[in-house]
Amino acid sequence: MKLPFGLARAFALTFAITAAPSPARAQATTADGFALPQPGRKFVFPRDHGSHPEFKIEWWYLTGHLYATNSTMGTPPRRFGFQATFFRRAAPRAGGPGIESANFGTGNIYLAHMALLDVTTGRFFHEERLNREGWDAGSATNSLAVHNGNWSLRLTDPVTNRMDLSGGIRAEVRFQLSLVPRKPLVVFGTNGVSRKAAEPEAASHYLTYPRLATQGTLSLGRETLAVAGEAWMDHEISSSQLGEGQVGWDWACLQLNDGRELMTYRMRRSDGSTDPFSSLSWVDASGRVVQQSARTFQWDPLAQWTSPHTRAVYPAGVRLTAADPIDGRRRTFTLEPLAADQELNGAGGGVPYWEGSCRVRDEAGREIGQAFLEMTGYAGSLRRTLE
Amino acid sequence: MESGTLVLILAFGIAVFFAVRLANRAAVANFQNFTDLLTAEADGLVTAEAGALSENLLPELRTLCGTESVHLVPVLETTATPPRSTEAEAIGERETYQLVGVDLIALQNLAAQRQVNRPWFDQTNASPATAGPAGAERDRFWQTFRDPRSAYVSGFLAERQYLRVGQDLPLLINDRVITLRVAGIIPVAPDQPQPPANLIVLDLPALQVLADRTGRLDRIEFVLDPGPERRERWQQLRLRLEAAAQGRWRVATPADRRAAGEQMTAAFRLNLTILSLLALVVGLYLVFQALDGAVIRRREEIAILRSLGVRPGEIQAAWLREAAVYGLLGGVLGLALGWLGAQGAVRWIGRTVNALYYATSAQAASLDLTETAIALGLAVATSLLAGWLPARTAAATPPAQILVRTGTSFAGAAWLRRPGWGALLLVLGVALTPLPALRLAGGARISWAAYLTALLWIGGAGILAGWVLQTMARKARRLGNYQATWRLALSQLAAPSGRHRLALAGLVAAVAMTAGMAILVSSFDTTMRGWIERTFQADLYISSDGAQSASTQNRIRPEVWRAIARHPAVAFANAVQVAEVRLPGGSTLLGGGDLRWFRDRTRTAWLARPADEAVFDAARNAGLCLVSEAFTARFQLGAGDEFDLPTPTGRQHLRIAGVFADYGNERGSITVERQHFARWFGDEQASSLILALHPGRNVEALRAELRAEHPGLAVYTNAYLRSEALRIFRQTFAITYALELIGIVVAVAGLGFTLMSLLLERRAELTTLRALGFTHREIAATTAWESLFTALAGVLTGLALSLALGWLLIARVNRQTFGWTLETDHPWGQLGALAFLVIASAAAVGWLVGRQGARLPAEQEE
Repeated sequence: MKLPFGLARAFALTFAITAAPSPARAQATTADGFALPQPGRKFVFPRDHGSHPEFKIEWWYLTGHLYATNSTMGTPPRRFGFQATFFRRAAPRAGGPGIESANFGTGNIYLAHMALLDVTTGRFFHEERLNREGWDAGSATNSLAVHNGNWSLRLTDPVTNRMDLSGGIRAEVRFQLSLVPRKPLVVFGTNGVSRKAAEPEAASHYLTYPRLATQGTLSLGRETLAVAGEAWMDHEISSSQLGEGQVGWDWACLQLNDGRELMTYRMRRSDGSTDPFSSLSWVDASGRVVQQSARTFQWDPLAQWTSPHTRAVYPAGVRLTAADPIDGRRRTFTLEPLAADQELNGAGGGVPYWEGSCRVRDEAGREIGQAFLEMTGYAGSLRRTLE
Repeated sequence: MESGTLVLILAFGIAVFFAVRLANRAAVANFQNFTDLLTAEADGLVTAEAGALSENLLPELRTLCGTESVHLVPVLETTATPPRSTEAEAIGERETYQLVGVDLIALQNLAAQRQVNRPWFDQTNASPATAGPAGAERDRFWQTFRDPRSAYVSGFLAERQYLRVGQDLPLLINDRVITLRVAGIIPVAPDQPQPPANLIVLDLPALQVLADRTGRLDRIEFVLDPGPERRERWQQLRLRLEAAAQGRWRVATPADRRAAGEQMTAAFRLNLTILSLLALVVGLYLVFQALDGAVIRRREEIAILRSLGVRPGEIQAAWLREAAVYGLLGGVLGLALGWLGAQGAVRWIGRTVNALYYATSAQAASLDLTETAIALGLAVATSLLAGWLPARTAAATPPAQILVRTGTSFAGAAWLRRPGWGALLLVLGVALTPLPALRLAGGARISWAAYLTALLWIGGAGILAGWVLQTMARKARRLGNYQATWRLALSQLAAPSGRHRLALAGLVAAVAMTAGMAILVSSFDTTMRGWIERTFQADLYISSDGAQSASTQNRIRPEVWRAIARHPAVAFANAVQVAEVRLPGGSTLLGGGDLRWFRDRTRTAWLARPADEAVFDAARNAGLCLVSEAFTARFQLGAGDEFDLPTPTGRQHLRIAGVFADYGNERGSITVERQHFARWFGDEQASSLILALHPGRNVEALRAELRAEHPGLAVYTNAYLRSEALRIFRQTFAITYALELIGIVVAVAGLGFTLMSLLLERRAELTTLRALGFTHREIAATTAWESLFTALAGVLTGLALSLALGWLLIARVNRQTFGWTLETDHPWGQLGALAFLVIASAAAVGWLVGRQGARLPAEQEE
């Protein structure tokens, strides 16, 4: 569960939801004619890796952990965290089609974010990019092929589901990575629909590769490194995401050394409470999912960190407590950021959020895995920004 | 008082020079990409070899960029004008707007856009507090983004026209009026200049549709993300782009483009600078005369200093210092005046550049350190040069002089008394005339030899004028024997003093330059008129009503011009297409039209008539072209020569079948059959449509009918277009008259100064005359005669010289610089009026000076 938050302000606002009073029955479309996720949908691949223009909002979201493979003997390998995200947002159906131009379309807008943390130096690089549908941004509908400027993500081998990611941050960072799933695709939610709020529209199809073997090259300034590691990829398709009274959310994906993963999102309400539509899911080594409701897990912010860029105050790490589906025992995971400053600060006027790589420790303080943590709505109330 | 006048004169000369230079600089500085305001400066640009680029090249270019972090900014530019408010408006009177189309979404990714002072998509008239809820903001974004009429205007324009967000802005684009909607003010980053008032920004696909140029781009700018080795990264990318171009595009940098713009106007700007220097040259004489006068007046002072033992060298140095101080003061005042003048001149130069070369938005000239230093240096150098001889005279003043006081007039400048020197200069000038012009990059030429000849001739004639004056005075003395004032005046002139000769030389220079310029302009006028009458033979000329100048890009859509061509009243229609093309020697204009027109419908002035009829036959004229005379001079190609023409569909090999006279532009032009042009450029929009009607058809009736049917078209009759062409031409020459008039005023004032000095020198004589019974009136009459005679000699010599200068300007400067053959025409009436004006004003000034002199206190008896 991720929402595009660091986008340029004007575009960010287009993601806000005008929360409509919710009729109880299941709807096929939104009021303005966009498709809504339907339970029991049969996904067909590679087609469903591609774009779904009948839905209003869609994103392909990669986060991962990389290690330099050519490090000298004896020294620990250089470590990096990376984020590569591609968003699509359709224009409202009302108001006519605008100008019809294949190269300069007005039907969809594409946003993309790239970020890299160099753990050794603590330097955090990020860039956001906005383009209209057309020659320089777009997404195929028959398979995964999405691009924005010189950034792209493509399915290059439908048999192994290998994907190639080409990304970078301005002239400072470049990465060429190939990603091969180690586990089968996971569909979160109930019967193929992941709910975010009480409103029937606030739901998505949420497809995830929870663990991808990742390797390639990373250029940082004049230095080029061979890197390898693991990544997480979400593909989420919806026409509406937020519900009434929700002010922001925290999201995390944990990749444990025992071969299991956890994914959790906590919708935060205006009174500070956790929205009942929050959720936590366990993925076992074979890829089977166990979903737990908001009541069963606990999310405790640890220390605080104040952003020098935006003055926003974020939790500096999180303690997550949940029941292990193997034995029912309460387990505690501490998410410890690899650098405090991993804020995508919306320098271009966008909405700031924190998204960064963390290490995961157990109750005894042992490092048992790696995680990505996303925290939105801390740079002033998200709700107020949107309203 | 005299020091003040001296400083003023210098200031005036410097001001004219400085103003013209600053304004020139502003007009050139303006040849930048309008998009620089939005992107800061791009690292490079891709343009078509000729015509427009296809937007379908963009994905390929992106692929060529590989992983390089570069923003590709496709740009489309066109022009528009406000719709006409009355029928009577003349061509070129309405403002021309520069419409720039860029992808307003992608633009936000540029670093330069990160700090703009307002958002692009959320501008309202309301204050932020009352701007409404977020939903409204979101709706505004999509509404503005998807409305093809959304336009961003400059703050200047919004202020001037009281434009508000949401307001309609009707504009004439191509052949129709389109109503844009103001979406806001163009956002600007803090370190970027304010956008010019005539800039309007639209979303790229919207402008493509509005300008009927769907799928086309003028250029693609490449903006690399900042980072290490940005320059090297661009160089590498440039090599990749060039290697893949295969004639489909051309890679350049903004500096290349600016240089091309500067080259295009180099000759025009140089000529203007030379003209502005003329005022300074005449000023030089005047400063000399004034300083010399001061030496005379302060002879006593100098003689005392000499008596006290001050060495001549010290006296000379003191005078030179004084001259330098005058120069400095005049220079500073001149800079101030010039800066003010530049603000006015920049509009004029901007308009001329706009009309003749390219769209510029020069609004104000800014102070430039180099120009300031040059102007100040020139002021000091001028006054030092002018002060040199008077300083020597001062140094040579013997102490005893004060006792003798017989008034040895200005002894220096012995060379002024030697007609042989004058003749030698004239001969030297003649010897230089056959030398060719200096060719600059981009095809501009500078007639340096002709300018040098002019200088030698002016100097030579100045010297000879003294001899003319002397001869005239000696002959005339025999005529009016009976009148004392007459005899007295002529006795002064029969052996003219050095001072007389110098004033005369100044007058000769001013008269000759003014009259020479008058001859050039008149010849130009006559030639143009003849050419216009021969060329403009059609009944009606149709263009977009927005076509206001050479830089206009407004066209007539093919469906519109075809429909008009089919009108039953039309006997022959010639749709003309125009594009700018770049040849190895510079850029030129390519026209496509019905070549039969040249043979059947107009009396073409052929410089090289086509050898056979093939060029007039559309079925046989592929590979043939006609070129203008200016083209042959610029590219050194003539009839029968062959060259390669770049077009969007590749290089076309052309042979020149004929050369015709065309005074429309000095960059030259190539004309080919329209159907070939349309095929090469994949475009059928016409820049004009020329109609010949069936005999007996009413031209005015058809004009009215077409105007009513197509409000976006300008439909001109033959007579109107002829008069407009001449009006625009004359407007372009207006500044030359103004500069020359300044020369005359300065020269006549200089004569006044000289006479005043002479009278001061002859104070003893005046005392004697008064003692003999001469009245004030008679003394004034004597000076008036003296002045009149000097002016007469100046005018006669000046006019004689002007005939030579006129020839030089027409046959050498103009031929070499513009490649135009002009028919010489002497505007005798105008020259006569000039002669009368100079002589009469000289007599009047002489009279005034004489009266002033007569009132001088009598010499004290010692």
